[in-house]
Amino acid sequence: MAEMNTDNSQSAGIDLSQFYQVFFEEAGENLDNMEQLLLGLDITQADDEELNAIFRCAHSIKGGAATFGFSDVAELTHQMETLLDKLRRHELAPNASMVDVLLASGDALKAQLARHQGNGGDAIDTTELLFNVRALVAGEAPVAIAAAPVVAAQPAAPVAAAPAAKGKRLVELRVGPLSNLAQADELRDLFKEIEGLGTIEDLPSLPDQANTRRFKLETASAESDLLDLFTFHVSREEVVFLPWSEGGVQVDPDKGLFEGGAAAAHEEPGYGFFDNAPGAPTVRAVAVSAASAEGVPAASSAAAKPAAKADKPAAGGLESSTIRVSVEKVDQLINLVGELVITQAMLAQNSRGLDPVLYQQLVSGLTDLDRNTRDLQEAVMSIRMIPMSTVFSRFPRMLRDLANKLGKKVELVMQGESTELDKGLVEKITDPLTHLVRNSCDHGVEMPADRIAKGKPEVGTITLAASHQGGSIVIEVRDDGRGLNREKLISKAREKGIDAPDTMSDSDCWNLIFAPGFSTADEVTDVSGRGVGMDVVKRNITSLGGTVEIDSAEGYGMRVSVRLPLTLAIMDGMSVGVGEEVYILPLSSVVESFQVNEEMVKTIGGSGRVVEVREEYMPVIELEKVFGVPRFDWEHTSGIMVVVEAEGGRVALLVDELLGQQQVVVKNLESNYRKVNDVSGATIMGDGRVALILDVGSLVRRSRH
Amino acid sequence: MGMMEKLDLQTDLAREYLTFRLGDEEYGIDILKVQEIRGYENPTRIANASHFLKGVVNLRGTIVPIVDLRLRFGCASAEYNAFTVSIVLHIGHRTIGTVVDSVSDVMEIPAESVRPAPEMHSAIDAGFIRGLAQVGERMVILLDIEGLLMSPDMGLAD
Repeated sequence: MAEMNTDNSQSAGIDLSQFYQVFFEEAGENLDNMEQLLLGLDITQADDEELNAIFRCAHSIKGGAATFGFSDVAELTHQMETLLDKLRRHELAPNASMVDVLLASGDALKAQLARHQGNGGDAIDTTELLFNVRALVAGEAPVAIAAAPVVAAQPAAPVAAAPAAKGKRLVELRVGPLSNLAQADELRDLFKEIEGLGTIEDLPSLPDQANTRRFKLETASAESDLLDLFTFHVSREEVVFLPWSEGGVQVDPDKGLFEGGAAAAHEEPGYGFFDNAPGAPTVRAVAVSAASAEGVPAASSAAAKPAAKADKPAAGGLESSTIRVSVEKVDQLINLVGELVITQAMLAQNSRGLDPVLYQQLVSGLTDLDRNTRDLQEAVMSIRMIPMSTVFSRFPRMLRDLANKLGKKVELVMQGESTELDKGLVEKITDPLTHLVRNSCDHGVEMPADRIAKGKPEVGTITLAASHQGGSIVIEVRDDGRGLNREKLISKAREKGIDAPDTMSDSDCWNLIFAPGFSTADEVTDVSGRGVGMDVVKRNITSLGGTVEIDSAEGYGMRVSVRLPLTLAIMDGMSVGVGEEVYILPLSSVVESFQVNEEMVKTIGGSGRVVEVREEYMPVIELEKVFGVPRFDWEHTSGIMVVVEAEGGRVALLVDELLGQQQVVVKNLESNYRKVNDVSGATIMGDGRVALILDVGSLVRRSRH
Repeated sequence: MGMMEKLDLQTDLAREYLTFRLGDEEYGIDILKVQEIRGYENPTRIANASHFLKGVVNLRGTIVPIVDLRLRFGCASAEYNAFTVSIVLHIGHRTIGTVVDSVSDVMEIPAESVRPAPEMHSAIDAGFIRGLAQVGERMVILLDIEGLLMSPDMGLAD
């Protein structure tokens, strides 16, 4: 645990506070779940499945709590977990007192969580609970089952007054008055050197005792032992241990706890919990803490507060400001709004012919409806949006491990983590991004010695940046490493039998790395270099309707930009007419369109048709033939070519006419029907009819054989 | 539909069937599978699909395939006029529309009046005929509509 705590404080300065809410929600659910399971547990015939489920609940709370630095929660759950583990291994038989203690622990956890969430209340003393849980683990009967299960309701026995407790506790350490404040730094080193001693953190000095250093200790060691250690550096008289009190009222050593508490006028700046200590929800709780900071000293002054008072914040704490809703419900909502938009578009279309003078009210009503549906659609779509930070957050750790493994020094810079993206996309973009980041670290950033030799800073920088650009989101992975080597790429491409003329443009050259099986790494590491990867990355991103672009300067670094539509549910489409039918092309894949002349289209081998566009021949696909569109006007010939691009290839689609561009709500054909060749989905047009959305990737593949 | 509301869970003995006409033949399907009955609307054609798949339509925001049972059963004519209706069926988790000439009735057919269909060759696999019911002068062919539509040769699902 101590390890986790330090890890937390080191984790590249990521602001974990953004995840607190998620943790609180999940922990709350786990606690409720655990309580249900405990209540339903048949002691005489405990079901293994149930015991496992209870164990898992405790385990996930512990994991989360340790990650976020809520050490008190982690400590208690850890003990519960030990007990539950013994139960599920059948090393102990469950009995009623265990269930009681576990339930009481659950209540205490709720109170602790509520407190961390910024709902006030003072530190929850779990000494007795911990003791009881341990006793049960050891196979003894608990000393006293608390009559009132809500432990928070026990008189706030000061933590320091129970030095016998083996569990970790928080202690305020004051050292001074010192002639040289740096002397106390030695104490901090002690905690670093001696494993298992606990953690130490600086606290701001009190204004009236400037030459007294204050620390926050979390330790399991007895005070006498600590004192013995400290005397190597400071004299015994200078060391004072005080019970930790979170609310901001630090009990004066001369006064008793009750006295000190009662002296609420004993004003000091709020620190501890509301300070920037790890485990305090910093960002989210700003408003809350501001409000409760005043209330807390008063609350903690009532040292023996009634049980009801402790219960209330607990209940309120788990009632969070967010709700968890199944994605299905949200999707249903999105569908309904999509319907509404279509109906609205239909009304708008039909009312266009109306005389605005005669139908003034109707027309203005329709204008309002237009605006409201748009707003509604935007609002509903935003429900599915989650910040990029949920993806980015996994990279610092991954990169740290990776850099260590490769012996490189890499710093990760993240920008625009709050940029929001559709949940469905977030899940699908994670793997490709992981791949890109890994590539940057493995292939891009040089070894520290090489970097120094090149006059670069020893530590390489990998930047992850997300931003909105128009209707899409752009995610960039940049590194200041060696960049791509043009010659190497071209010679490698030729080895693989890919046509790579020396004259090819840089961007075409960079795109070579998307060819299947392509790798320029001199040796295959277990990280990357096997050549499976960039082609998969590109394919995955393309299948999401996105594009990948590479920019590189040899010796200076490389940038991969991934452009994605904001959401999978809505996309920009270009509608084209073929015969009587309408098809939708994803606008992101449309390169250009032009009117075609007879002489531009040539045949190869009598049947394969190609068209020359800007000195490049590309295959012609007649949508009429692909989709077997029936013709009623035999005179008519298709005269418009739309050049589309996907999977690194371009084809020219022959259509009759371009009908326009619009945002379309993407519907799935497979839910009631099945996959249709060359079609990625369907949408509903303004007139209520269905139009098929073309799968450009599949059309490009079709042209290849 | 109103007729859905008056339904109780039926026992196997007395089941309610929705009957419809295809040409001169009358068919009955389990009414619990019926979601609604709609007028026929022109669907969006799906390329390279079976001839009896008319295409897909928009049913309040979902894309629903439309199968013309008359084409499936090889009826002499399959005209689309004001009386042509689609029966929207709810089968498993899927919604599928079927085109028939007209819907005739909702009737209770007790199990004892259902006779087994003779073994014979027809456009319908005998396995999908639950039996033949005598209702007055009429013969109603009771279809296992779920089995029929979900059979692989219909090509309605992957």
